[in-house]
Amino acid sequence: MALGVTGLLERSAELNALRDGVEIARTGPGGRLILLAGEAGIGKTALLREFREGAERERVIWGACDALHTPRPLGPLLDIAAAEGGRLAAAADDGASASVVVAALADDLRAHAPTILVLEDLHWADEATLDAVRLLARRLEDLPALVVVTYRDDAIDRTHPARVLVGELSGRAAVERIAVQPLSLDAVAELAEGQDVDVELLHQRTGGNPFFVTEALASGGTGVPETVRDAVLARAARLEEPARKLLDAVAVVPPAAELWLLEALAPNELGALESCLASGMLRVDQQAVAFRHEIARAAIEGALPLDHAVALHRIALVTLAAAPGRRPDHARLAHHAEMAGDADAVLEHAPAAAEWAARVGAHREAAAQFRRALRFAGGLAPARRAGLLDRHSYECYLTDRLPEALDSRRCALDEYRVAGDKLREGDSRRWLSRLSWFTGDGAAAESEAAAAIELLEELPPGRELAMAYSNMAQLRMLAADGAGTSEWGRRAIELAEALDETETLVHALNNVGTSELVEGLDGGAAKLERSLELALAGGLEEHVARAYTNLASTGIQLRDYSLADPSLRAGISYCRERDLDAWVHYMVGWQARSALEQGRWDEALEAAVAVLKTSAAAPPTRITALVVAGQLRARRGDPEVWELLDEALELARHTGEVQRLSPVAAARAEACWLAGEDDQIVRETEEALALAADVAHGWMSGELYVWRHRAGARDELDHELEEPFRLELRGNCEGAAAAWREIGCPYESALALTGAQNEKALRRSLAELQQLGARTAAQRVTRVLRERGVRDVRQGPRRSTRENPAGLTARQLDVLELVAEGLRNSEIAAQLFLSEKTVDHHVSAILQKLDARTRGEAVSKAVGLGITAR
Amino acid sequence: MNTYVILRRSGWRSGAELEEAAGRSKQVADEQMPDDIRWIRSYVLEEGAGSVGTVCIYQASSPEAIRQHASLADLPVDEIIAVADTVIIRPDPEPAAAQ
Repeated sequence: MALGVTGLLERSAELNALRDGVEIARTGPGGRLILLAGEAGIGKTALLREFREGAERERVIWGACDALHTPRPLGPLLDIAAAEGGRLAAAADDGASASVVVAALADDLRAHAPTILVLEDLHWADEATLDAVRLLARRLEDLPALVVVTYRDDAIDRTHPARVLVGELSGRAAVERIAVQPLSLDAVAELAEGQDVDVELLHQRTGGNPFFVTEALASGGTGVPETVRDAVLARAARLEEPARKLLDAVAVVPPAAELWLLEALAPNELGALESCLASGMLRVDQQAVAFRHEIARAAIEGALPLDHAVALHRIALVTLAAAPGRRPDHARLAHHAEMAGDADAVLEHAPAAAEWAARVGAHREAAAQFRRALRFAGGLAPARRAGLLDRHSYECYLTDRLPEALDSRRCALDEYRVAGDKLREGDSRRWLSRLSWFTGDGAAAESEAAAAIELLEELPPGRELAMAYSNMAQLRMLAADGAGTSEWGRRAIELAEALDETETLVHALNNVGTSELVEGLDGGAAKLERSLELALAGGLEEHVARAYTNLASTGIQLRDYSLADPSLRAGISYCRERDLDAWVHYMVGWQARSALEQGRWDEALEAAVAVLKTSAAAPPTRITALVVAGQLRARRGDPEVWELLDEALELARHTGEVQRLSPVAAARAEACWLAGEDDQIVRETEEALALAADVAHGWMSGELYVWRHRAGARDELDHELEEPFRLELRGNCEGAAAAWREIGCPYESALALTGAQNEKALRRSLAELQQLGARTAAQRVTRVLRERGVRDVRQGPRRSTRENPAGLTARQLDVLELVAEGLRNSEIAAQLFLSEKTVDHHVSAILQKLDARTRGEAVSKAVGLGITAR
Repeated sequence: MNTYVILRRSGWRSGAELEEAAGRSKQVADEQMPDDIRWIRSYVLEEGAGSVGTVCIYQASSPEAIRQHASLADLPVDEIIAVADTVIIRPDPEPAAAQ
């Protein structure tokens, strides 16, 4: 056997990469993170064990995620903490959050340099563990450690939270991704040496998967098993009866069975442990017995007769519950309780496991544990069942599982109705309204909001009614109905102040303030800022996030970037620190919009793509990103414009809100115009224009009127539009262009000029569009100029033209200017709205092109070449 | 993954400059964007006066991925065109370097 003593076959490149990582951690200053990817059985763990053998001078700490249906929150980190003891163990005790555990772990890593930290099987990780890895990666620059994270890349599709994390991490400088490759035919032949087997068939059927190859070879006989499961079962069938029974017992306790637990599960078969170990199917690690590979455990467990499995789980449940001297592990107990079909035990342990998970920020696991409890809750009293449904709904809401959240809230509503609990019934209706809004169902949001108020007004006024009023105010605000917002908001504020209910007050102030700001009323910004201050002082995180969000989104809708951009920066950084991801995504979407409008297209693209890659993004978030990406495709002449804009329209229609429909319609009108399909524009804008004109929103309706005007339509106006639109509709295109420049929107400025009559203005428009990389609009202007008989119109300067001596791009020149001013990369990144990584990249490209070793040398060479003025 | 043709006309002043760019391109694609970008092949265009351009065949998760790749690897992009179908009559001729 080539595994083990003689080392691994065909793994030297991977081992070298790991050793390089240790060297980086040793020499510092920062550490390294390696993402080790590969299918199940490809040999990730074997590779790491081999690596550990060779790592004599470094401390190695190791944790793995469980294959439980609902993993233990922070499982691998708690295991590491328990094994290491000391301050780390103390910090990890008592339901600490991911950030607290990571902070303690970072201290520990600094105290033991260098350390190799292995976290296995990220595809099974709970949410809190993923957060912990994310936090760890952020601190890597001052941690003397090599962190190795393994995952099955074929087990995480694009929507899997671990995939999202891997995507985020893989762009970073200190992160490396290694894909473990299948074995070659030669290696398989080497493994099979001395056995009578068709090596080519073995290689083909196993796909070179080392675990499958080993199992197939160990299963005996001359044939090759069809599947890896067949191979495992054939191999187990060759063992004696007691050994097979012992395998069954170990198989019901993932990931590993403690010896004292096995004594209860297989009291007469423990003697067979030696032969199982010798056969290589099981291994012992820290007083616990585990299968050599999870594939083998799953195969054996899957082949267990149901009654036998139930009996084993029942013993495991009783033994674990009675285990002396340890805190009950509710997640594990709930797993065995469910597998044993023990409803009482599930209802005892699953909610406890859920509350624990919620406390440490593993909301996805919390939702799963509540769901598990609900599967066994048929016999509970209505009030208790409804309580579980409420909690389940809330955890689903936090984790963007909106259909499930709605479903549970509706079931809870039925229970309260049967029980005659009007207060909870009304509050459930208010929740249904909010959830419906989040799923983009505007009509249901309105009707539930009204039903909640009707029910709660029959009862003595309390916080539920105040919140129902405020919820209605929020809906009116989102529908751009200023009068409605103000009326419902006033009721909410009065009641909240009478009850001294800060949270409701903050919520209501936000709604009224946002609405007044949109309407251009004086007190709006002040109300929003008061809401923000109260929320910050009270630690009401969700409301802080909402205040920043509404300041930013309103600023952008008013094209007031000096209001929007600082709110976005502060809001995104506040929410990132607290892992309020739904709000981060929403604000990053607006950041994309803001950057696009201000002509920073690369930044807009980066932000929009970040949102679109997040599968969980709620419709309002996604719409903004789809529109930005769609507009960029259309403007640059990239393909697949309508895929994005059709999805945006569908989502926006479902919300029924003018603030979503109007930008979608404007983007679609623009795409038609760029494609020369002007005759579609009136039809594309009809629906949104009716709504925008109805609320007399001069920015939203103005944009739509202008597109219709450019397509030749002549509409009657019944309300005042904002200045640049007014000017263009009156035929003053150059005035409109100047107004746009003043506001800070270069593309809009160039577009306004396309309607100008004189050649000089058209040429200026063309130059500005080419500068922005707006290929299609530039083509349209070129065509107009040529139609007018203008001769010397050139397709001209490409964005990447290398006119300066060193061939630097425009962006690199921007960066170089700031390098010359003595700014650091992080400062340059902030100033140019780029990521720091992108700046790093530009700086190294500049050094290379100028053949300079240092920044100083680059600057002096640039001055010498006349590129920068210093 | 969809297949795209990318035009980078007169992007470089010399073959050597293009070669450098190709190194960056491959590195960014393989190391930073392995899930989003697969560079399949490129044809180098003689654009006169020593300058060269390329027609590149890529597979990518979206046009945005191609834009991001180009920005990270500092490559020009003139036009991205989606490929509807592939018809192969003969294999590509031997690359010049391998002859």
